[in-house]
Amino acid sequence: MSDLLELVVSATASGSIYALVALAYLLILRPTSIINFAVGEWAATGAFVGVAAQTTLAWPALDGPYWLAVIAVLVCLGALGWLVEALTVRPLIARGANITSPILALLGVLVIFRESLTMLFGADPLPSPPPFGFKRVAFGLFAGVPQQFLIITVTFVLFAAVWLFFERTVWGRAFEAVALNRRAAALMGINLRRVTTFAFVSGAMVAGLAGLLMSPLTSAHYMMGLPLAIQGFTALVIGGVGRVEGALLGGLVLAFVEQLGARYLPIPSGLTLGFPFVLLILFLFLRPSGLMPPREAR
Amino acid sequence: MSAIPLVSISRLTKHFGGLTAVQDLTFDLHPGEILALIGPNGAGKTTTFNLVAGVFAPGEGSIALGGERIDGLPVHAIAARGLMRTFQHNMPFAGMSLTDNILVGCHTRCSDSLFDILIGRRRVRRRETAARLRAAELIKFVGLQDRIDDDVSALSFGEGRLLELARALAGEPRVILLDEPAAGLTQPEMTRLGAIIRDIAARGVAVLLIEHDMHFLLPLAHRVVVLNFGRKIAEGTPEAIVRDRQVIEAYLGEAVGDLAMRPASA
Repeated sequence: MSDLLELVVSATASGSIYALVALAYLLILRPTSIINFAVGEWAATGAFVGVAAQTTLAWPALDGPYWLAVIAVLVCLGALGWLVEALTVRPLIARGANITSPILALLGVLVIFRESLTMLFGADPLPSPPPFGFKRVAFGLFAGVPQQFLIITVTFVLFAAVWLFFERTVWGRAFEAVALNRRAAALMGINLRRVTTFAFVSGAMVAGLAGLLMSPLTSAHYMMGLPLAIQGFTALVIGGVGRVEGALLGGLVLAFVEQLGARYLPIPSGLTLGFPFVLLILFLFLRPSGLMPPREAR
Repeated sequence: MSAIPLVSISRLTKHFGGLTAVQDLTFDLHPGEILALIGPNGAGKTTTFNLVAGVFAPGEGSIALGGERIDGLPVHAIAARGLMRTFQHNMPFAGMSLTDNILVGCHTRCSDSLFDILIGRRRVRRRETAARLRAAELIKFVGLQDRIDDDVSALSFGEGRLLELARALAGEPRVILLDEPAAGLTQPEMTRLGAIIRDIAARGVAVLLIEHDMHFLLPLAHRVVVLNFGRKIAEGTPEAIVRDRQVIEAYLGEAVGDLAMRPASA
C-alpha cells in the first residue's frame, strides 16, 4: 500500500511537470493557433538557467538563492520568449504567412536552442541543487522527496491563478475572444500583436519554470527538452486544447499511466518510454477533442 | 445636433486592382445623428465601413474622428478611440456567455492594464465587478436580460443581433457602425431595434448604418447618403432622398416600383 501511495506522489509530481509544459503549449496555441514544439527546449533552458543562477551567479550574502534562480528563469525565459516571437513569428505574420510557417520556424528555434545549450553547458548532465534537500518527508500516508511536493504545490497554485485570469478577468475573456474569432476580437479593440507577444512571453516563462522545477530530480541535460515536448504535447491532446484545466488533467493522466504501467505491467522498463505515443495515438483516433472538450463544441 | 462633425470623411477613394470600390466620397457625421448609407449591391457601402473601421487602409482621402486622423491606424487602435461596429453576419464569441461577450467588448474601457492584473492590484477586482454590472445593464438595455447566463449559441438570430449591438456599446463608443442591423429580423424585432438605435443616438452617439429595408430606415434616419458605383449620388433627409430622380433611377426605382405594383393584399 505504501508502495502505491509513494507512486501516487511521484506520478502527481511528474504529471505536474507535463501539465506545466502542456500549459506552455496552450498559452501560445489558444490565442495564436501556433503549436510551438520549442517549449521542451525552453524547459531545458529554464533548468540550465536555474543551475547557472544557483552555482555561479548566486550571491552568498543573500538567503534563499533558489528564489534568485526562480526570478532568473522567469526573466531570462520571458525575454527569450519575447525575442523568439519578435524575430520569427511576428515578421511571418506581418507578411501574411500561412500558419504552418511560424510552426516550422519554431522547429528551427528548437534546434538552435538545443545546440546553444550544448555549446554553453556541455553535453554532460549538470546536477541541480534542490532547494529543500533530498530528505524524505511524509504528509500522512503520502511520502516523497521535498522537491516533488514543491512541484505539486507550485503547479496547482499556478493553474489556479491562470484559470482565474482566463475565467474571471476582462483581459482573460479578451484572450479567449481572440482564440474564438480573431477578426471580431480585433474589431472590439483587442491588439492582436500584444496578445501574441503576451502568449509567447507567458508560455516561455511557464516552460522555463517546468524545467527549473524538475531539474533537481533529473539533472539539467541538453537532451531533456524533446521528451518533455512530447509528454507535454500528449498531455495537451489527452486533456483537450480548449481549457486550462484540461492541461492539468492530461498531464496527470499521462503520468499515472506511465508510472502504474512501468510498475505493474509485465513489460521491460525501456518500453514505458512508448506510453506517451500510445496514448497520443489512442486519443487522436478515439477522442481527438480530449477529455475536456472546448466549450464551443458543447 | 452639434455643428462640429464627429467623423469627417473627405475625398475617400479605394481601388481593388482595377476595380474602384469607393471614389471621392465625402460626408460628415455628427454626434447624436443617425446617418444611413444606402445604394445597390456593390455600391461600396461595406467597403466604406471597412475603411472607416480600419480593416482596409484607404488609397486616397482622409478619415478623421473627433479632429484626429484615423485612416491608416490598425483596427484595434480605431476601436480604442471610440469607434465600434457590428457585422452583417453575427459574430458572437461562441462558447462564452452573454456577459462574457460583452466584457470582451468593453475590454478597452473597463479593464486595468495587464500588469495591474498580474501583480494583483486590489482595484482590479472593483473594476471587474463594475464591468460585470455594466454588462448586465447593457443586456437589459437591449432587452436580453432573461438570457443573461445562456451561452450565446442558444440565441436566435434576432437576439444575436441585439447582443452584437450591446457588445459594441460596451466599448462606450462615440461612433457606432451598424452593417444591415435589420436584416433577417422579424417585424417586432425590427421595431425594438429601431427604438434601441434611436435611444443610442439620443445619448449623443453618432450612428452610421447600412440598410436595405426602406420601411425600417426612412423613419429612423436623420440623413441619408446614397452611393452608386462607389460614388455619392445624393445626400439629404429621407424625405428629399425618396423624391430624388437620380436615386429613384439608380436604386429606389426597383424597390419603390415593386412596392407600388404589388397588390395591397400580398
